[in-house]
Amino acid sequence: MRLLVIEDEDRLSGILRSKLGDAGFAVDIAGSAADAEAALELINYDVAVLDLGLPDGDGLGVLATLRRLGRTLPILILTARDAVEDRVGGLNAGADDYLTKPFAMTELIARIKALLRRPGGALGITLDAGNVRLDTVGRELTVAETPVNLSRREFAILEQMMRRFGRIVPKAVLEEKLYGIDEEPDSNPIPVHVHHLRRQLQTANASLAIHTIRGVGYILTENKE
Amino acid sequence: MSRRIKSLQLRLTIELAALFLIASCLAVGGLIYSASLTAGSLADRELGLRAEDLARHVSLDQTGTPRLELPPDLRDAYNAAAQQSVFAIRDKEGHLVEASTPEFGAMIGRWPTADTEPSYFQLSRFGPSGRDYSGISVRLDSAAGTLSVLVAQVAGGDQLVHSILREFVFDIAWYVPPFVAVALLLATYSVRRSLRPLRSVSAQASDIGPGSISIRLPEADVPTEALPLVVAVNRALDRLEQGFTIQRRFTANAAHELRTPLTIITARLDSLEGNGQLSALKEEVTRMNRLVEQLLCVARLDSVALDVSSPVDLRGIAQEVIGSMAHLALAAGRTIALIGADHPVVITGNAAAIGDALRNLVENALAHTAPGSEVIVEVGRDGAISVQDSGPGIPVEDRPRIFDRFWRGKGVRTEGAGLGLAIVMEIVRAHGAAIAVSDHAPSGARFELRFRPA
Repeated sequence: MRLLVIEDEDRLSGILRSKLGDAGFAVDIAGSAADAEAALELINYDVAVLDLGLPDGDGLGVLATLRRLGRTLPILILTARDAVEDRVGGLNAGADDYLTKPFAMTELIARIKALLRRPGGALGITLDAGNVRLDTVGRELTVAETPVNLSRREFAILEQMMRRFGRIVPKAVLEEKLYGIDEEPDSNPIPVHVHHLRRQLQTANASLAIHTIRGVGYILTENKE
Repeated sequence: MSRRIKSLQLRLTIELAALFLIASCLAVGGLIYSASLTAGSLADRELGLRAEDLARHVSLDQTGTPRLELPPDLRDAYNAAAQQSVFAIRDKEGHLVEASTPEFGAMIGRWPTADTEPSYFQLSRFGPSGRDYSGISVRLDSAAGTLSVLVAQVAGGDQLVHSILREFVFDIAWYVPPFVAVALLLATYSVRRSLRPLRSVSAQASDIGPGSISIRLPEADVPTEALPLVVAVNRALDRLEQGFTIQRRFTANAAHELRTPLTIITARLDSLEGNGQLSALKEEVTRMNRLVEQLLCVARLDSVALDVSSPVDLRGIAQEVIGSMAHLALAAGRTIALIGADHPVVITGNAAAIGDALRNLVENALAHTAPGSEVIVEVGRDGAISVQDSGPGIPVEDRPRIFDRFWRGKGVRTEGAGLGLAIVMEIVRAHGAAIAVSDHAPSGARFELRFRPA
């Protein structure tokens, strides 16, 4: 996993390099917009972490340049600014996620992994969480190396949850993904599928738990033993 | 008058009306005066003609004495009007030739004979009627030589002058009020028209708010007299905007300068291995992070007025806030639920600020709710949003003060600095919304924000 951190604050970029290195990423640092653009031209990074406040230009400028050039790598914005407007501006300019300083390193790593787990992301094909592995191309689920059979809908739901592991999966997103998955009439609502999926995971002794957030969606977390 | 009436338009109109009234009174008075002058000279002329008429009928008789021989109709006329008009005729030497009444004849006998220029005279309380007369004395040539003819008429009994005046008042003077009215209407209209640019300027001025401080008043169509005011207002707005920008930049810089080192401290501490003291330190840093966050939020709310004019979906905000906090709740062994409306609930406000307020309420609720319990967020279709926990609730005596900055409950284990609810209150105020705190059964606190429907 190769990752570019675009950050002008030396102390912070040093910590990011060591922390993200510990988490298994190969980290390059760019201290300015010009360095960042040069590095991005040379190397195909899997993800970029971009600070909005740069000495030689706005981070949003870098973002806009990348997107104009058709580069689709996932970009996570870091900002110390208050601006909610920054957030909206950043997401509009094509950022994939957004984190405000001060942040916990675990949160940053979780967000980066979530970006990588997207379809097309570097970790987007085989999804791992706890003792569960989901092969999204081969459509295979293994729990502790043992294959488990899921219906197409259950598989689709679990895939969404694994891609957003530890974060909320809004009900609306699930509805959208399941809609038109095949033509057969389906009278079962999503909670029923989730219920089945939960039971299957339990039966297979998966170390994951699906939590229901009433009225909002679901969260997949690792069981606390 | 000008001190009491504030409306420029009304004042101009009233003053113009007074001006018109005075001018038309002067005009009418002048007309009446010159009409009466004309009437007076007409009366003099008539007396002169009558005198000539009389002189024409004087001739010498056989004895060579001048004698008046009036045709019968004229004599009848003079007899009939004996009280109205009197006359007397004297010859060159001043001897009386004829008089309409002996009294008049006796009276003028003492006067000098007429000069080449006609002379005027007044008689007061003359004759049996005791009335005032005005008359003329002229020297005229006749068949009987040079004569002095005196003719007088009852003063004030002048019908001609009166009829002329009456005619004037009824035929001409009634034009004056409608003329004044029309002129006044035109004046009012033109005053309104001239003030129109000022009205459009004030309409634009009323659009200026904290969210639109860069608007300036147009100076193009403003009347010259009002231009200095508009220019001064625009300059004042420039200075205000500058002040706003400085404040805004200051909070943004403060945020940047505080947050970056905090991130570094947090990360450095994370990488240290250690004993209980280290975890206490970590907790302290977490608390500090939150405090800085809230202080910045307060500073921002103080320095930058919220733009609360966008359509906002309360249910969407609730879903987003809950979605972003659910994993924290789960990690702490609590959960959150959203109930109520199952369709978007749209109000007018500021989505980010309402999200901040809700986040603070949910954070509070998560901190106080019993382990394993559920914090319930409810969005009502009428624009209400409430957060309910199953904690100990809030004592009634504390309720008026919980929204004060830095207030913390006594004996309550507290994580925060007492800014969360103050922030909520600021945001509620900026929206003109209402907030209510209550208990709910079996135990717990319930905060309800009630927004005005869009």
